Amino acid sequence: MDKATSRLRVLALLVVVMFLALSTRLWFLQVLAAQGFNKEAHAQSVRTVYADPLRGQILDASSTPTHPVVLVGNRESLEVRITPSELGSQGEAVILRVSQMTGVPVSEIAKTLQDPKYLPTQAIPVAEFVPKNVKYAIAEHPQQFPGVSVESTFVRSYPMGTTAAQVLGYTGLIDSTQYAAWQKNGYGPNDIVGKNGVELSYEQYLRGEQGVTKLLVNSDGEALGTVSSTKPTPGDDVQLSLNDHVEKLAQKALLDGMQHARSYHDQNGNLLRANAGAVVVMDAHTGGIVAMVSTPSYNPLWYERGLTPSQSKYLSNSNIGAINNRATQLAYTPGSTFKPITGLAAIKEGYASLGGSYNCVGTYTQPGDTSGAQFVNWTTANLGYMSIQTALSESCDTVFDAFGSDFYYAWANNPLGTNSDPLQGDLKQWGFEQPTGVDLPYEVSGLVPDPAWANTQKTLFPYGWVPGGDILTMIGSGYVQVTPLQLARAYAAIANGGHLCTPHVVNQIISSSGTVVKKIGGDCAQTVPYSASELSYIRGALRSVVTSGTAQCAFQGFPFSQVAVAGKTGTAERPNKQDTSWFASMVGPNPERPDYVIVTMVEQGGFGGQTAAPITRQVIDGLYPKIGDASSPSCVTPDR
Amino acid sequence: MDLVASRTFAQERRPIRHVDWLLLLITLGLCAVGLLLVYSATSQTLRNMGLDSFDRTNKQAITMVLGGIFALVIAAIDYRFLKIYAGFIYIGSVLSLILVRIPGIGSTDVSGTAQRWFAVGAFQITPSEFTKLALILALGAVLANIRTPEPTLRDIGKALFLAAIPLGLVFLGPDIGTSITITGIVVGMLIVAGTKLRHLLVLCAVGIIAIVLVFQTGVIKDFQRQRLAAFLDPQAVPADVRYNLDQSLIAVGSGGLFGKGYLQGIQTNLDYVPEQHTDFIFTVAGEEFGFVGGIALLALYALLIWRSIRISWLAKDPFGTYVAAGIASMFAIQMFVNVGMAIGIMPITGIPLPFLSYGGTSILASFAAIGLLESIHMRRFT
Repeated sequence: MDKATSRLRVLALLVVVMFLALSTRLWFLQVLAAQGFNKEAHAQSVRTVYADPLRGQILDASSTPTHPVVLVGNRESLEVRITPSELGSQGEAVILRVSQMTGVPVSEIAKTLQDPKYLPTQAIPVAEFVPKNVKYAIAEHPQQFPGVSVESTFVRSYPMGTTAAQVLGYTGLIDSTQYAAWQKNGYGPNDIVGKNGVELSYEQYLRGEQGVTKLLVNSDGEALGTVSSTKPTPGDDVQLSLNDHVEKLAQKALLDGMQHARSYHDQNGNLLRANAGAVVVMDAHTGGIVAMVSTPSYNPLWYERGLTPSQSKYLSNSNIGAINNRATQLAYTPGSTFKPITGLAAIKEGYASLGGSYNCVGTYTQPGDTSGAQFVNWTTANLGYMSIQTALSESCDTVFDAFGSDFYYAWANNPLGTNSDPLQGDLKQWGFEQPTGVDLPYEVSGLVPDPAWANTQKTLFPYGWVPGGDILTMIGSGYVQVTPLQLARAYAAIANGGHLCTPHVVNQIISSSGTVVKKIGGDCAQTVPYSASELSYIRGALRSVVTSGTAQCAFQGFPFSQVAVAGKTGTAERPNKQDTSWFASMVGPNPERPDYVIVTMVEQGGFGGQTAAPITRQVIDGLYPKIGDASSPSCVTPDR
Repeated sequence: MDLVASRTFAQERRPIRHVDWLLLLITLGLCAVGLLLVYSATSQTLRNMGLDSFDRTNKQAITMVLGGIFALVIAAIDYRFLKIYAGFIYIGSVLSLILVRIPGIGSTDVSGTAQRWFAVGAFQITPSEFTKLALILALGAVLANIRTPEPTLRDIGKALFLAAIPLGLVFLGPDIGTSITITGIVVGMLIVAGTKLRHLLVLCAVGIIAIVLVFQTGVIKDFQRQRLAAFLDPQAVPADVRYNLDQSLIAVGSGGLFGKGYLQGIQTNLDYVPEQHTDFIFTVAGEEFGFVGGIALLALYALLIWRSIRISWLAKDPFGTYVAAGIASMFAIQMFVNVGMAIGIMPITGIPLPFLSYGGTSILASFAAIGLLESIHMRRFT
């Protein structure tokens, strides 16, 4: 047996090797690598489920806790949901029954259920806004509807319709850019988020906090219990400075005025198109936007319901540009509405003075210019010497052309010095060519052409900066571009004594419990370098525009003794388009302290006094209903 | 005095006085651990299905009682008696392997991934479990008849021929796990029989060539090939093929040093590890009792194998030595392959862990092996 003993030792040795191998491996798995495996075990066995919070409402400026005025709210919807994995063997019959009850075609339900963004174990919504009796019918016959449930959920409601759509914005599925930026804030790839307007710019307040439920699940995904659960926190309400009453009347005034304008002919004898426009009504002392109309418009509800092909085509048509907020997202040539500001620049630089008088020639030629370039006034007649006030009131271009020439020589004599282009420097002090900082997304900056910019535009300026650059900018023509909101902000500074306020559409953020979380606005620290008397002089000049100047026809019969109006018409030429009609104004009972600034712009609307000024008058009538302005202008003479 | 002395001596040598109590204790210990683990692996799932959470555990306990009785019966029979009938037992087991392949007599599940069985009432009898013991007896009988100090090539050839028939049938089952066990038994018994090292090496070479041929000719099923691929290069196979291994590793690894506590295993309670109450029962121990529990369990098996080898050494005749060595090899290889696959150092094959895995035939066969060991131990003086 000795031999057997040694052979058994060999067998025992092999067994020992086996145990050593197993023990070593166990040591590695359970001691050295245990932490990693623990993490993996935890991640797969605890599944996190998010409950969407109720999105905050967007409230009107006049809204109070007892009388809420909701501009964007939430609407309860009964949603039919189907969990494919629970349908069982008679799935097709169940889908047919659901289709019959809800009126949603079978093919559409099948398509939704097969959407790869859902899991088969998820309750997939297939019909919304179903009547209550559908809920009862399905609840009463559970055996006929396996895997079907009717849940109450909230969807966005937009009671304003197309009114203020570009300001309020809309919501939609988060896009890849937003997801990349917001993922760290807890956003998921299927979240509904703000896409434009206040819905987007105040997304962080409106959204609220998701409820998080951690479920213990088995390998089939079945929930076995709850580890932890927090309820969703509703989003904050956002109260606007916007007043729905003023917004609606401004929208009506704009649409009426555009309709009216379409009966006028342009210089070539064609009817005006007057197909788009904007109105901004702003508190002159705070920058709070009371109304902001942009037309053509859209209904945010279209996005909520899913765009139809015709809606999609309409919204993506850049010629219509319904999606654009024409007050902030597009820039236009301002025309003569620019003159009060360029005129102040001329005074500041010493080319003009409040007491001076200037020759309003019929045709302006740059001194010493032999190229034959001529700058024409709106009339070929020589109107003689006049004050700045009259030049504004009559909107004499040639007076301002001469100041433009002065500005050009200021640059030409010192092109490399500091502040070598004083006109452009002065205009930027008014906030042009920079965003106003309004709390709305996708704001554009506009353009103040200057020598440096001209050097980058070789086809427009083959020889660099020329006198015409400054001369055209002086009369708000050429390449200068401003947004209606930038213009309103500058006019507000004229109205309030020189404060450049940051415009805002939101006044405050209110939590769901009713406490004010944050106040917005009131930033008027930036000022323009003009004296009170200079600004007062301009206000006076602008008052004469409506009483005896280019807008007198539109304001015929207006009770100026009760409410003072000061404004400036503008008629901006556009290549291949009819003229842009402008009226920028300030209004209020105290002529030295106007309450509101109103800027009206109508694309292809003809003369400023013809289209934009009457629209503005209609808005003013709505703003001050007590003045009882029943008169309507009887003159239709197109003026400038 | 002589009379008294001789009677005393004879009485002293009565088999009943020489039971290996430690072996019985180890067996009972393993059974107890087995019931605990089966309960942990099945109770939550049964409860979720609305069934009695003790259903599987009770069934396993009943099988263990039957197994105990079976072991007693076998221990009561003189093992040398079995040497005479080893040929009949062997032929019977080969026949049962053939019969189980005939549809209507034997059964297999639709996927064809499991062993084949005979349905006997509520139980499923898997004949390949008993094939191992029948082969051990047959090989023991052949090797015990060798008169030369070392087995000749002819002896080795005879042994290999005996092993090849059940091995082939089991392999076609398809049951790679039992095939590996049978191979382990043959190698273990040949070592103890004193086979020359070079013969063993040649045998290994032949084995490797056979395995390569099997893979090349496509005898094995696709899922088996995939499991092997998952073992050889885990990163190269899709996650669903790797799933078994991944979940098993997560369960054992997340157990850590001391485990999550009995019935506290997340992986176990949530059904993440497939076949957890049968082939992957070790993952329950690994997750809930950790490294310390796992090592303790391995120690219990070490004791079992040590007692088996000790009995082989104590046996009165070569047949007893070879049979005990065969059983020791069987326990060792099954333990190693089963635990090894659960912790990722062996490929995944269907192989039960003796006394722990849920399953009637495996329990009965393991108890029968204990019965044989006790029979040899008890009769070492008679």
